[in-house]
Amino acid sequence: MKYLFPRQPWDRALVAILVALFTGFCILTPGFYDGFHGTLAITEEFLPFGFVALGLSVVILTGGIDLSVGSISGLAAVIMAILIKSYGLNTWLAVLLAVGAGGGLGWLNGQIITRLRVEPLIATLSTNFIYSSIAIALAGASPPYGFGHAFGELGTGAIAGWLPVQLVIFIVMAIGFSGLITRTGYGRRLVMIGYNRDAAHYAGVSVASVERRAYCISGVMAAFAGIVLASYYDAVRADMGDILLLTSITMVVLGGISIFGGEGGILGVTLAVMILGVLRQGMLIAGFSDMVTTMLIGAILLSSIAIKNLFSSRGFDLGSIIRRLSSLRPPERMASKS
Amino acid sequence: MSNAATAASQPGHRAKPRPRRRELREVTLLIAIFAVVLGVGVLRPSFMSFSNIEFMILSSVVLGLAGISQTFVIITRGIDLSVSAVLGLSAMVFGLLSTTSSMPLWQALPLCLAMGAVLGSFNGFLVAWLKIPPIIATLGTYSLYGGLTFIYSNGLQVDQVSPNFAAFGNGNLIPGLPVPTPVLALAAVAAAAWFVLNHMKFGRNILAIGNNAAAAYNAGISVRRTLLAVYTISGALAAFSGLVFVAYTGSATATTGTGDHVELQSIAIALIGGTAIAGGRGNLAGTVIGSVFLSVVITALVFLQVPAIWYSAGEGLMILAAVTLGARRSSKA
Repeated sequence: MKYLFPRQPWDRALVAILVALFTGFCILTPGFYDGFHGTLAITEEFLPFGFVALGLSVVILTGGIDLSVGSISGLAAVIMAILIKSYGLNTWLAVLLAVGAGGGLGWLNGQIITRLRVEPLIATLSTNFIYSSIAIALAGASPPYGFGHAFGELGTGAIAGWLPVQLVIFIVMAIGFSGLITRTGYGRRLVMIGYNRDAAHYAGVSVASVERRAYCISGVMAAFAGIVLASYYDAVRADMGDILLLTSITMVVLGGISIFGGEGGILGVTLAVMILGVLRQGMLIAGFSDMVTTMLIGAILLSSIAIKNLFSSRGFDLGSIIRRLSSLRPPERMASKS
Repeated sequence: MSNAATAASQPGHRAKPRPRRRELREVTLLIAIFAVVLGVGVLRPSFMSFSNIEFMILSSVVLGLAGISQTFVIITRGIDLSVSAVLGLSAMVFGLLSTTSSMPLWQALPLCLAMGAVLGSFNGFLVAWLKIPPIIATLGTYSLYGGLTFIYSNGLQVDQVSPNFAAFGNGNLIPGLPVPTPVLALAAVAAAAWFVLNHMKFGRNILAIGNNAAAAYNAGISVRRTLLAVYTISGALAAFSGLVFVAYTGSATATTGTGDHVELQSIAIALIGGTAIAGGRGNLAGTVIGSVFLSVVITALVFLQVPAIWYSAGEGLMILAAVTLGARRSSKA
């Protein structure tokens, strides 16, 4: 039991928020708790945000940002639809090629950032609009739809009738990303670059190549999210991914990954994905408009960074003040730990 | 102009006076504008007509105002994505007020500036006091202000404005002088901004912060208050450009500004005009000429029947080109 419980205070707070939010919606919103399977199926509505958030975490850990995730997911879905509809390619081969194309677009971001030395936010802001123009041009006037039953299983299927396929994929991927960041040399180099770029450079880390791969990973995950969305709706729209960006960045930041890079882990991001997903769907079920929900998510984005800055040792450092105050009373601290 | 800027950048490291570079940027842009006008004018003669040229200059005013507001923010090493949302909100609010409660222009103008200043100062508070990176802070407020526009509009849209708004947007302020009022407004704002940036202590503080915020702080500049002022000015200018937009076009919807990606356009204008994305260097003349350039290029694309979906891709490419081809400081790693 001790190992199941998160050790970081930030993650513990997230667990508490998640439990409170979920219970609150179950009690207060009629129609939110829809049986065990029905409630699990809610995750299908928001896990595409989670896939993007996982990829984005890698980029934000290096201290960069990828604003082009929304258009990459739209473009990848459009590419997949065209490969299936116009070229009659096998569905899963088309999915593979589209995910590869997403990786290619992310790699291009990385090339622009590292070779041309454009700041990440400017580079990905520009490519965001370039990619979305290409997606709209490729998609044409009538959005493609109808990709068959087997493909639909990716977005809406459930294993044994109750466990959503998306949730299984998300959990596997989250464990994979967690392993990538904490257990591999590449992951440690990522965090080091985010923590101190110059130190990483002088320690012999090839900063540019690590960064290029990070943007490539982000592109792959964005493309995958686009394909899951296409499967969920059984249709493709070029601007499908536009809603992904704000919520995904919020998930990463609320999850405890420092927006300046070098801090945080995947466990927090996973919890934040669940929190924001439950919040979003709960509010939509309770009858709030999409605009109000988006505004609330924007507010959460700002306040979570503000709170983190207040406590962080790089910011106002409220955390160490509290720690110093609480260490004046050691017995109480021991009691709370056990 | 260059004297004040180089004087301000003296305390910063590797500051070398570049006497000719800034004029070069403006001359290049002007040549590019004439080349586009002549080139497209040969293919489509109506492009060179007086009414079209007047249209292009008029439509560059909104862009130019948004670009000036963005220039100030970029000089401080920041970025303001919420300009388009503030522009849209102000266009919606005052467009509706002018028709539903027939608010006269002289009331709308100060209210609009005040509203923009409040929205902008919230950005400034987030950036300066809560230390949220500008890109994230303004991305958050972009969604907040964009949502406010939707809520305020409540499904309505502006399709006509009161006569005194329309007179401000399309008429001539000085009788006999064939210069539309918005162009005069842009000229006044640009001149004031140029004076503030190059001849006032406040402007030199902005440049110093953009060059090196830590050094500026150590030199006794109140970094937080200066940043707050910069974002406030940016918000007020964005709201003013929204007012000009609704007065000029007579229409506004809930996606005005955000739908046209004005934030992207304003960043493109500032960077094309020679403002350094790394901060510490701004070129207001370049921004104004850049807004005319963007307006001319977009109109040229319309005349050449390029589909509208490619415009934002073109603006993205322009930003990348301006950042990579422009005078780039040597950066590490």
